[in-house]
Amino acid sequence: MSGPTVLLSITRIEALHLRDLVAQFVDLLADPPSGDPAVARLTPTAYPDDPDAAREFRSVTERELLRRRTDDAGAVLADLAAAGDVTDIADLPTEEAVAELDLTLDAERAAAWMRTLTAVRLVLAARLGIASEDDTDDTDPRFGVYDWLGYRLDGLVQAVDDAVSR
Amino acid sequence: MTPVAIPREDIGLDEATAIGAPWQTVVWNDPVNLMSYVVHVFRTYFGYPQEVATRLMLAVHEQGHAVVAEGAREQMELHAQAMHDYGLWATVRRVPA
Repeated sequence: MSGPTVLLSITRIEALHLRDLVAQFVDLLADPPSGDPAVARLTPTAYPDDPDAAREFRSVTERELLRRRTDDAGAVLADLAAAGDVTDIADLPTEEAVAELDLTLDAERAAAWMRTLTAVRLVLAARLGIASEDDTDDTDPRFGVYDWLGYRLDGLVQAVDDAVSR
Repeated sequence: MTPVAIPREDIGLDEATAIGAPWQTVVWNDPVNLMSYVVHVFRTYFGYPQEVATRLMLAVHEQGHAVVAEGAREQMELHAQAMHDYGLWATVRRVPA
Protein backbone atom coordinates (compact mmCIF):
# COMPACT_ATOMS: atom_id res chain seq x y z
CA MET A 1 0.00 0.00 0.00
CA SER A 2 1.12 3.51 -0.65
CA GLY A 3 0.16 6.87 0.78
CA PRO A 4 -2.12 7.45 3.72
CA THR A 5 -4.42 4.65 4.82
CA VAL A 6 -7.71 4.75 6.66
CA LEU A 7 -9.15 2.26 9.10
CA LEU A 8 -12.80 1.37 8.64
CA SER A 9 -14.56 -0.58 11.38
CA ILE A 10 -17.97 -2.05 10.63
CA THR A 11 -19.97 -4.72 12.38
CA ARG A 12 -20.39 -8.15 10.86
CA ILE A 13 -24.10 -7.44 10.31
CA GLU A 14 -23.29 -4.22 8.48
CA ALA A 15 -20.73 -6.04 6.36
CA LEU A 16 -23.34 -8.64 5.42
CA HIS A 17 -25.92 -6.03 4.42
CA LEU A 18 -23.33 -4.06 2.51
CA ARG A 19 -22.15 -7.14 0.66
CA ASP A 20 -25.71 -7.96 -0.37
CA LEU A 21 -26.39 -4.39 -1.55
CA VAL A 22 -23.15 -4.16 -3.51
CA ALA A 23 -23.73 -7.60 -5.05
CA GLN A 24 -27.17 -6.42 -6.21
CA PHE A 25 -25.52 -3.31 -7.59
CA VAL A 26 -23.05 -5.43 -9.59
CA ASP A 27 -25.97 -7.46 -10.96
CA LEU A 28 -27.73 -4.25 -12.00
CA LEU A 29 -24.62 -3.02 -13.84
CA ALA A 30 -24.12 -6.38 -15.55
CA ASP A 31 -27.53 -6.22 -17.20
CA PRO A 32 -28.92 -2.69 -16.91
CA PRO A 33 -32.62 -2.56 -17.85
CA SER A 34 -33.18 0.03 -20.56
CA GLY A 35 -34.92 3.12 -19.27
CA ASP A 36 -34.10 2.32 -15.65
CA PRO A 37 -34.03 5.67 -13.79
CA ALA A 38 -31.30 4.45 -11.41
CA VAL A 39 -28.96 3.57 -14.27
CA ALA A 40 -29.90 6.85 -15.95
CA ARG A 41 -28.79 8.72 -12.82
CA LEU A 42 -25.44 6.88 -12.84
CA THR A 43 -24.84 7.88 -16.44
CA PRO A 44 -26.32 11.37 -16.68
CA THR A 45 -26.35 13.45 -19.81
CA ALA A 46 -23.52 15.94 -20.24
CA TYR A 47 -25.44 17.99 -22.82
CA PRO A 48 -29.08 18.39 -21.72
CA ASP A 49 -29.78 20.93 -24.50
CA ASP A 50 -27.91 19.27 -27.35
CA PRO A 51 -29.14 15.76 -28.24
CA ASP A 52 -26.38 15.16 -30.82
CA ALA A 53 -23.56 16.13 -28.48
CA ALA A 54 -25.25 14.18 -25.67
CA ARG A 55 -25.39 11.03 -27.80
CA GLU A 56 -21.77 11.44 -28.89
CA PHE A 57 -20.58 11.94 -25.29
CA ARG A 58 -22.58 8.96 -24.08
CA SER A 59 -21.31 6.72 -26.86
CA VAL A 60 -17.69 7.29 -25.87
CA THR A 61 -18.09 7.35 -22.07
CA GLU A 62 -21.02 5.23 -20.86
CA ARG A 63 -19.61 1.74 -21.28
CA GLU A 64 -16.31 2.64 -19.57
CA LEU A 65 -18.16 4.47 -16.81
CA LEU A 66 -20.21 1.39 -15.97
CA ARG A 67 -17.12 -0.83 -16.22
CA ARG A 68 -15.22 1.34 -13.72
CA ARG A 69 -18.24 1.21 -11.39
CA THR A 70 -18.20 -2.58 -11.61
CA ASP A 71 -14.46 -2.60 -10.83
CA ASP A 72 -15.01 -0.31 -7.82
CA ALA A 73 -17.83 -2.49 -6.53
CA GLY A 74 -15.68 -5.60 -7.04
CA ALA A 75 -12.93 -4.01 -4.93
CA VAL A 76 -15.43 -3.36 -2.12
CA LEU A 77 -16.66 -6.97 -2.26
CA ALA A 78 -13.06 -8.23 -2.19
CA ASP A 79 -12.25 -6.05 0.85
CA LEU A 80 -15.36 -7.28 2.65
CA ALA A 81 -14.51 -10.89 1.88
CA ALA A 82 -10.95 -10.39 3.14
CA ALA A 83 -12.12 -8.72 6.37
CA GLY A 84 -13.94 -11.78 7.65
CA ASP A 85 -16.59 -14.35 7.02
CA VAL A 86 -19.88 -12.59 6.40
CA THR A 87 -21.56 -15.43 4.57
CA ASP A 88 -23.56 -17.00 7.36
CA ILE A 89 -24.40 -14.81 10.31
CA ALA A 90 -27.91 -16.13 10.88
CA ASP A 91 -26.64 -18.74 13.32
CA LEU A 92 -24.11 -16.54 15.06
CA PRO A 93 -24.66 -15.41 18.64
CA THR A 94 -25.46 -11.70 18.89
CA GLU A 95 -22.07 -10.67 20.26
CA GLU A 96 -20.35 -12.14 17.21
CA ALA A 97 -22.88 -10.61 14.81
CA VAL A 98 -22.15 -7.14 16.18
CA ALA A 99 -18.40 -7.74 16.51
CA GLU A 100 -16.48 -5.20 14.47
CA LEU A 101 -14.43 -6.08 11.42
CA ASP A 102 -11.45 -3.82 10.74
CA LEU A 103 -10.63 -2.88 7.15
CA THR A 104 -7.50 -0.97 6.23
CA LEU A 105 -7.93 0.94 2.97
CA ASP A 106 -5.27 2.76 0.99
CA ALA A 107 -6.20 5.96 -0.84
CA GLU A 108 -7.15 4.22 -4.07
CA ARG A 109 -9.26 1.63 -2.30
CA ALA A 110 -10.95 4.24 -0.10
CA ALA A 111 -11.87 6.14 -3.28
CA ALA A 112 -13.43 2.99 -4.74
CA TRP A 113 -15.43 2.56 -1.52
CA MET A 114 -16.65 6.18 -1.54
CA ARG A 115 -17.69 6.00 -5.20
CA THR A 116 -19.50 2.71 -4.60
CA LEU A 117 -21.34 3.86 -1.45
CA THR A 118 -22.35 6.99 -3.36
CA ALA A 119 -23.54 4.99 -6.38
CA VAL A 120 -25.56 2.56 -4.26
CA ARG A 121 -27.19 5.53 -2.53
CA LEU A 122 -28.04 7.04 -5.92
CA VAL A 123 -29.69 3.76 -6.95
CA LEU A 124 -31.63 3.55 -3.67
CA ALA A 125 -32.71 7.19 -4.03
CA ALA A 126 -34.04 6.46 -7.51
CA ARG A 127 -35.93 3.40 -6.21
CA LEU A 128 -37.35 5.40 -3.28
CA GLY A 129 -38.26 8.37 -5.46
CA ILE A 130 -36.18 10.79 -3.42
CA ALA A 131 -36.55 14.15 -5.13
CA SER A 132 -35.67 16.49 -2.28
CA GLU A 133 -33.44 16.38 0.78
CA ASP A 134 -36.54 16.26 3.01
CA ASP A 135 -38.00 13.12 1.43
CA THR A 136 -38.12 10.38 4.04
CA ASP A 137 -40.54 7.80 5.39
CA ASP A 138 -39.99 6.42 8.89
CA THR A 139 -42.21 3.43 8.14
CA ASP A 140 -40.12 2.29 5.17
CA PRO A 141 -36.96 0.48 6.35
CA ARG A 142 -35.24 1.22 3.04
CA PHE A 143 -34.85 4.83 4.13
CA GLY A 144 -32.97 3.52 7.15
CA VAL A 145 -30.59 1.66 4.82
CA TYR A 146 -30.18 4.81 2.73
CA ASP A 147 -29.37 6.92 5.81
CA TRP A 148 -27.00 4.27 7.14
CA LEU A 149 -25.04 4.26 3.86
CA GLY A 150 -24.84 8.06 4.07
CA TYR A 151 -23.56 7.85 7.65
CA ARG A 152 -20.86 5.36 6.68
CA LEU A 153 -19.89 7.38 3.61
CA ASP A 154 -19.61 10.59 5.62
CA GLY A 155 -17.37 8.83 8.16
CA LEU A 156 -15.15 7.53 5.39
CA VAL A 157 -14.88 10.98 3.79
CA GLN A 158 -13.83 12.48 7.15
CA ALA A 159 -11.30 9.69 7.74
CA VAL A 160 -9.74 10.13 4.29
CA ASP A 161 -9.60 13.93 4.64
CA ASP A 162 -7.97 13.57 8.08
CA ALA A 163 -5.45 11.02 6.76
CA VAL A 164 -4.48 13.32 3.88
CA SER A 165 -4.03 16.38 6.09
CA ARG A 166 -2.00 14.52 8.73
CA MET B 1 8.95 17.90 -33.35
CA THR B 2 6.40 20.39 -34.47
CA PRO B 3 7.01 22.33 -37.65
CA VAL B 4 6.50 26.06 -37.55
CA ALA B 5 3.02 26.83 -38.82
CA ILE B 6 2.63 29.45 -41.47
CA PRO B 7 0.43 32.21 -40.08
CA ARG B 8 -2.99 32.46 -41.64
CA GLU B 9 -4.68 35.75 -42.01
CA ASP B 10 -8.18 34.39 -42.51
CA ILE B 11 -8.58 32.96 -39.01
CA GLY B 12 -12.02 33.83 -37.70
CA LEU B 13 -13.00 35.38 -34.43
CA ASP B 14 -14.60 32.14 -33.24
CA GLU B 15 -11.41 30.16 -33.79
CA ALA B 16 -9.33 32.83 -32.12
CA THR B 17 -11.50 32.95 -29.02
CA ALA B 18 -11.57 29.13 -28.87
CA ILE B 19 -8.05 29.37 -27.49
CA GLY B 20 -9.47 31.23 -24.51
CA ALA B 21 -12.04 29.68 -22.22
CA PRO B 22 -15.26 29.23 -24.17
CA TRP B 23 -16.48 26.06 -22.40
CA GLN B 24 -17.48 25.23 -18.84
CA THR B 25 -18.04 22.18 -16.67
CA VAL B 26 -21.11 22.74 -14.49
CA VAL B 27 -22.04 20.62 -11.46
CA TRP B 28 -25.75 20.48 -10.55
CA ASN B 29 -27.43 20.03 -7.21
CA ASP B 30 -29.04 16.72 -6.30
CA PRO B 31 -30.78 15.60 -3.10
CA VAL B 32 -28.53 12.58 -2.58
CA ASN B 33 -24.87 13.56 -2.52
CA LEU B 34 -23.45 14.56 0.85
CA MET B 35 -22.01 18.05 1.25
CA SER B 36 -18.84 16.60 2.81
CA TYR B 37 -18.41 14.24 -0.14
CA VAL B 38 -18.87 16.98 -2.76
CA VAL B 39 -16.22 19.13 -1.04
CA HIS B 40 -13.94 16.09 -0.92
CA VAL B 41 -14.41 15.47 -4.66
CA PHE B 42 -13.67 19.10 -5.57
CA ARG B 43 -10.52 19.06 -3.40
CA THR B 44 -9.30 15.68 -4.55
CA TYR B 45 -10.04 15.84 -8.26
CA PHE B 46 -9.48 19.53 -9.04
CA GLY B 47 -6.95 20.12 -6.27
CA TYR B 48 -8.93 23.12 -5.05
CA PRO B 49 -8.13 24.43 -1.54
CA GLN B 50 -10.69 23.70 1.16
CA GLU B 51 -12.13 27.23 0.96
CA VAL B 52 -12.66 27.13 -2.81
CA ALA B 53 -14.11 23.61 -2.70
CA THR B 54 -16.49 24.60 0.10
CA ARG B 55 -17.59 27.76 -1.72
CA LEU B 56 -18.32 25.78 -4.90
CA MET B 57 -20.21 23.11 -2.95
CA LEU B 58 -22.36 25.79 -1.28
CA ALA B 59 -23.06 27.39 -4.67
CA VAL B 60 -24.23 24.00 -5.99
CA HIS B 61 -26.36 23.47 -2.89
CA GLU B 62 -27.89 26.95 -2.65
CA GLN B 63 -28.01 28.15 -6.26
CA GLY B 64 -28.59 24.77 -7.86
CA HIS B 65 -25.36 24.64 -9.80
CA ALA B 66 -21.80 25.93 -10.00
CA VAL B 67 -19.18 26.32 -12.70
CA VAL B 68 -16.28 24.17 -11.49
CA ALA B 69 -13.94 24.59 -14.47
CA GLU B 70 -13.46 26.58 -17.67
CA GLY B 71 -11.34 25.81 -20.69
CA ALA B 72 -11.17 23.78 -23.87
CA ARG B 73 -14.18 21.62 -24.66
CA GLU B 74 -12.29 18.31 -24.57
CA GLN B 75 -10.91 19.13 -21.14
CA MET B 76 -14.37 20.07 -19.86
CA GLU B 77 -15.73 16.74 -21.14
CA LEU B 78 -13.00 14.90 -19.25
CA HIS B 79 -13.96 16.79 -16.11
CA ALA B 80 -17.66 15.96 -16.62
CA GLN B 81 -16.80 12.31 -17.12
CA ALA B 82 -14.75 12.34 -13.90
CA MET B 83 -17.62 13.96 -12.00
CA HIS B 84 -19.96 11.23 -13.30
CA ASP B 85 -17.47 8.66 -11.98
CA TYR B 86 -17.85 10.27 -8.56
CA GLY B 87 -21.64 10.19 -8.84
CA LEU B 88 -22.04 13.94 -9.32
CA TRP B 89 -24.18 15.27 -12.16
CA ALA B 90 -22.06 17.46 -14.40
CA THR B 91 -22.75 19.02 -17.78
CA VAL B 92 -20.67 20.79 -20.40
CA ARG B 93 -21.68 24.09 -22.00
CA ARG B 94 -20.35 27.12 -23.78
CA VAL B 95 -19.67 30.09 -21.56
CA PRO B 96 -23.04 31.89 -21.61
CA ALA B 97 -22.90 35.10 -23.62
